[in-house]
Amino acid sequence: MFPDKFDYVRASSVDEAIQLLSQNEDAKLLAGGHSLLPAMKLRLADAPLLIDIGRIAELKSITANGTLKIGALATHAEIAGNADVQKYCSALAAATGQVGDNQVRNFGTLGGNVAHADPASDPPTVLVACNATIHVKGSGGARAIKATDFFLDLYTTALEAGEIITAIEVPNHSGHKCAYAKLEHPASRYAVVGVAVCLEMSGSTCKSASVAIGGATNIAMRSSGAEQALAGTSLDDAALNAAAAAIQADLPDDALMDDITFPADYRKAMSGVYLKRAVKAAIG
Amino acid sequence: MTKDKKLVIGQSVKRIDAHGKVTGETPYPGDIDLEGQLWMKIRYSDRAHARVLSVDASQALAMPGVVAVYTSLDVPVNEYGLVMKDQPVMCGPGGDKPGTDIVRCYMDYVAVVVAETEAIAAQALPLIAVEYEDLPPVFDPEYAMQPEAPQLHPNTPNNIIAHYRIRKGDMAAGWAQATVIVEETYETTYQEHAYLQPEAGLSYIDEQGRVTVIVAGQWTHEDQEQIYHALNLPENQVRVIYPAIGGAFGGREDMSVQIVLALAAWKLRRPVKIQWTREESILNHHKRHPIKIRAKWGATDDGKIVAAEATVIGDAGGYNYTSNKVLGNANLMVTGAYEIPNIHVDTYAVYTNNIPTGAFRGFGAPQALFAAEGQADRLADALRMDRVAFRRMNVFQEGSLLSTGTPLPKGVTIDKVLDACAAEAGWFEEPAGLWSRPVPDLPEDRTKLRGIGIACGYKNIGYSFGYPENSHAKIELYGKAEIEQVIVRQAGAEVGQGAHTVFMQMAAEAVGVPFEKVKLITADTAETGSAGSASASRLTFMAGNAIRGAAEKALQAWKSEERPAVGEFVYRPPKTTPYDPMTGRSEPNFAYGYVAQAVEVEVDIETGHVQLINVISANDVGMALNPQLVQGQIEGAVVQAQGYALMENLISDKGRIKNPFLSTYLIPTVLDVPLEVKSIILEYPDPIGPWGARGMAEMPFLPLMPAIAAAIYNATGVWMTSQPFTPEKVVKALRQHGIGVI
Repeated sequence: MFPDKFDYVRASSVDEAIQLLSQNEDAKLLAGGHSLLPAMKLRLADAPLLIDIGRIAELKSITANGTLKIGALATHAEIAGNADVQKYCSALAAATGQVGDNQVRNFGTLGGNVAHADPASDPPTVLVACNATIHVKGSGGARAIKATDFFLDLYTTALEAGEIITAIEVPNHSGHKCAYAKLEHPASRYAVVGVAVCLEMSGSTCKSASVAIGGATNIAMRSSGAEQALAGTSLDDAALNAAAAAIQADLPDDALMDDITFPADYRKAMSGVYLKRAVKAAIG
Repeated sequence: MTKDKKLVIGQSVKRIDAHGKVTGETPYPGDIDLEGQLWMKIRYSDRAHARVLSVDASQALAMPGVVAVYTSLDVPVNEYGLVMKDQPVMCGPGGDKPGTDIVRCYMDYVAVVVAETEAIAAQALPLIAVEYEDLPPVFDPEYAMQPEAPQLHPNTPNNIIAHYRIRKGDMAAGWAQATVIVEETYETTYQEHAYLQPEAGLSYIDEQGRVTVIVAGQWTHEDQEQIYHALNLPENQVRVIYPAIGGAFGGREDMSVQIVLALAAWKLRRPVKIQWTREESILNHHKRHPIKIRAKWGATDDGKIVAAEATVIGDAGGYNYTSNKVLGNANLMVTGAYEIPNIHVDTYAVYTNNIPTGAFRGFGAPQALFAAEGQADRLADALRMDRVAFRRMNVFQEGSLLSTGTPLPKGVTIDKVLDACAAEAGWFEEPAGLWSRPVPDLPEDRTKLRGIGIACGYKNIGYSFGYPENSHAKIELYGKAEIEQVIVRQAGAEVGQGAHTVFMQMAAEAVGVPFEKVKLITADTAETGSAGSASASRLTFMAGNAIRGAAEKALQAWKSEERPAVGEFVYRPPKTTPYDPMTGRSEPNFAYGYVAQAVEVEVDIETGHVQLINVISANDVGMALNPQLVQGQIEGAVVQAQGYALMENLISDKGRIKNPFLSTYLIPTVLDVPLEVKSIILEYPDPIGPWGARGMAEMPFLPLMPAIAAAIYNATGVWMTSQPFTPEKVVKALRQHGIGVI
């Protein structure tokens, strides 16, 4: 399949991209192209103009000064292999290392991935669990949006028209036990369910837990039930089973994803299984 | 058979088509274009069952670039079909034959558009106005068999295409002897062939005025026959050529684009091309039969199977795409490779308004053996006998009587493949005659369980039940004092199995020249006689015997100093006979291949995922003419059967396929295949096979699913009785037994 015809322009800076975006209402931003182009080829998306931001150097850096700041154009492979990311947020390194396949990871960017807001993609789940912040910029200036407020619905985010994601900021989780575990779709390798956990441990006791789940519903979402079930426990089988039950209960039935291969009730059951697997992976 | 040292056969000669296929130089039907060609698109039925009242193409014809629209009114003889001409080429009004105005499945054609470009043809398609009168559909084969069900075809009461019976021995006596009896119902669903190359073709008028179709099929001369029948042309006015074929597996036995392409080229006198998408391919060729089998078997305390009863119901879909033959084979296979004195089987092939079902690697045997091997395991378990030991007591021996009351052809080796497979899988016989099963390693992860299963089976080589089997070959020897070149003409289709390379090896061997001196002319009805189909594991066996016969004649002519020396031969194997309609007595087949497989699986009890750790496949191939190609067939069959058993789940809702994409119809990829497939190639010659070779391409598909089911049971204590064993179904079954519950 081929996409419909479109025009193409390359932006050399964030400000130029913002200007181009404000002048072309229906234009779309092209970064790695690994979400947008497949959608355009399937004619699920179309744009009269693609603004290529893929070569804007200022969006490619990954820095770690107290917090982890990942430029929107950092690729999944760069993030997965980055020593600072592995130290500050091992779950994000793990999740970006499991996106799609090698080609996708080498081209696809974290900013593009977050903007696309596919609930079956891996990074959003970790960002939601790890209290990440999405930094965006538009003609009206810059603002910061919490990951938990960013993902609104299937392929829908809090980005306003004309705004560009510039960076994703993740607090330092090096003192936490973090992990991401997913059941992957055999054809696409997207998450049928993916669970991210960040555990604050005191000895063998879990002081507090942060749990997010993707793939199961329309957005990557937190499970406060699972978090409460884990907090204050030694993460024994009883606690894990209670948390597994709680995460299933937290999934809104009307938002459950459902398809021929993985029906809603199976996804729901697997959310509990993969929560347990994520916790076990985190505490190793 | 010759005892001489082999020159060329038995060697893993490099495939003649390897370089072109790997580099992409080889043209498949969709790669071939002709100057001035037009493009065709097909308008399929919008209903599962309806009468087509009218087809109005005026709007489509008014579109610039549209050259023609053809409907039922344009087809000279509006019927076709491989075993029975029960399907209209296009459904619509105006036919002489009753029922040609009725669509019976979504696969039916209502019209075709021919246009200057593919895009124009696609745009014109929805402009064709079709008026339907809905008819009551039937989707459940068991309901279709009831007298009150809608009757889909004339002269087919209760929609039963075929009913076969096996009545052997005395059932009452058999049950009286049995001390254990096991009963189970086994269900299978569709399988999609998923060959690499979706259907495509090109038709034109050749330099001799013949309407010529370049297409991928399995039997050039059969395609030719169906085309000239529908177009009402003499045989010599129609030519069929196969270029490279991107896989077939039975899915190209029946017609796809051939007749409508030929019709358009014949009428327009211009080349016409068509290229299906993957979605179109999945929606519009037949599938493996969903079959439901109820089985009841009994055995004595000392482990002899004494009675077997089965009812086998296969969903044929809207038309008889070899369903009568597939179910005929299932009728024979459903009692397994076991000699059982008392057998009672009823088998039905039934029309419904679902997608038609037909040939697919194994041809009814995989479904039948799922039941037979499941029953054997259940009996062994009930008797607390080892499953290999139980099978060894009951499998066919030389001279054993089939369920049809006649002996197997000589060369029975089911015991030998079973022994080889069991030994490789770790079964041991100690003391002699007492078999013990290996115990799988227990994984450290408590959410995983491991199990081992074994199963065996057999299948016919060549066409069965009275079919006048034959294959033609011609050999031409060129040179003066020495043979400088050998031309072999053999039409057999190279569907990816390596047949053409093996034809040339056999020709070289038969003539006594190096491989390099052989040239093959093939797969063109204008250049070759009929080879028969690339199916039923028959091509090497049949073509090989034809090539040997032709070579002998050519060598005689060479000795008589004829230049070129030409030999032509039609090989006809021993005759077979159809089932007796009341008792099933027959001589069903002239040759068989035998196989046993063992698998080790790891079951994730929380997710239901079943991982194949390793697979052992022991196959008696008679003589491995090209061992590397034999191994390729075994590994390919194992992976295809793995998909069938564990992943492939084609969903039909009221006759419409819901997942016609490879993103939603899941087949194994390199990430899913077993960690190891060990091929054990045994060579017990078939007395009538060429150089002792047996057909082997289907056999490694056959026992894998029952072996996996047995391994899952061994791991978990839960029997899966409904294929495919998808994670969702496995989890449900396990949790019903209290396993893996959170």
